[in-house]
Amino acid sequence: MNEMTCTECTGWLHAYLDNELDTTVSAGVRAHLDRCADCKASYVEMATLRQGLRTALPYYEAPEGLQQIILSRLPKQSPAAFTPRISRAWRRWRIPAFSTAALAAAVLIYIFAPTQEDRVDDEVVSSHVRSLMAEHLMDVVSSDQHTVKPWFAGKLDFSPPVYDFTPQGYPLLGGRLDYVGHQTVAALSYRRAKHIINVFVMPTPKSDSGPKRLSIRGYNLIVWRQNHLAFEAVSDLNAEELQVLAVLIINQPH
Amino acid sequence: MQNKNDVSRFERLFLPHLDAAYNLARWLTRNHNAAQDVVQESSLRAFNSLHRFAEGNARAWLLAIVRNQSYTWLKESSGRRFVDIEDEEALSERDKAQLGHPDTPEAWAVRMQEKQALQLALESLPEAFREVIVLKELEEMSYKEIAAVTDVPIGTVMSRLARGRDMLKIKLRAYHE
Repeated sequence: MNEMTCTECTGWLHAYLDNELDTTVSAGVRAHLDRCADCKASYVEMATLRQGLRTALPYYEAPEGLQQIILSRLPKQSPAAFTPRISRAWRRWRIPAFSTAALAAAVLIYIFAPTQEDRVDDEVVSSHVRSLMAEHLMDVVSSDQHTVKPWFAGKLDFSPPVYDFTPQGYPLLGGRLDYVGHQTVAALSYRRAKHIINVFVMPTPKSDSGPKRLSIRGYNLIVWRQNHLAFEAVSDLNAEELQVLAVLIINQPH
Repeated sequence: MQNKNDVSRFERLFLPHLDAAYNLARWLTRNHNAAQDVVQESSLRAFNSLHRFAEGNARAWLLAIVRNQSYTWLKESSGRRFVDIEDEEALSERDKAQLGHPDTPEAWAVRMQEKQALQLALESLPEAFREVIVLKELEEMSYKEIAAVTDVPIGTVMSRLARGRDMLKIKLRAYHE
């Protein structure tokens, strides 16, 4: 191989530095650097800069909890069946998840979670309280089940059973979307006298189970599973009257 | 229902590269919160197009998505950028490790200044040059991999790296004078 000129050497210098040259060209550059003080100086300068960059530049590691959030936000359907319809619902819930508070909350929930179910129960109570405080009880205000049910279509990848129980003393107030147990869920609001009842409905892979009573932070819960949907009714209403609503829902044709 | 195989494939292929994804997004957006948003959105996109990924370089594939999302963010947020307060206090793991380094306070101060100068110099480079330097020096990717991530020919990667390093050199020289 002919001896390399300074111009050629300069052209190859970075690739030489990055070890990207084949052995012939690489040997040519090395030979030229041995002979040419100017090119050698440029090479040393670049090598020093590179060393500086490698040791001094911060490598930003992903914040703790980000992985957890990503996994919790994967679509509930396999990608092949993924439709734009669901994609819109996801986008809607992306925004709150970006706040630092939500991130911190997700991390805390992750760390302190005793079991998946306990966590959901607890979140349901928090969500119930939040819905009352923020006066964000309903996204769709209607006592008409035929208005509420279609409202959910296009926002959820499952269809929550919606019934009005005004004759039985549990009028349907409306519905909204909520976020519980790392998924978007349906929340239906009912009223019993002066008490508000939130019924959360979410998909579950588990088999059916009968109603179970719980009490968390002074609120009563009735939880059950039916047709691959998990139901959580929560209220400050007494457990007996809350159970009446649960039984009403269970006995409807699904 | 969620396909367990897809999730485990996603976990196996992409989760190991989450730091790389965040690092690139953070360097391109220069913003902590934006980088998190970008990585979340990119992960979702990667998951949704999992079936289009044949076994290969998962890191390059994910970083290509992260890069696109970062540019989308840059375009959307142009004109309404803000300084991220948290970033002022954020120390990378490497910084923390070096804090424990036995140094005189003076030498440490000088070194921190040098570090900051380098960081600011790189942050001020146009994205096209900044990204090749991040991918080369921090991800230690080959030209071929960088070409795959940035969607340009290998020759362009080489010339951008050369140009980017020259620009850094000039900026640092100005800093030292």
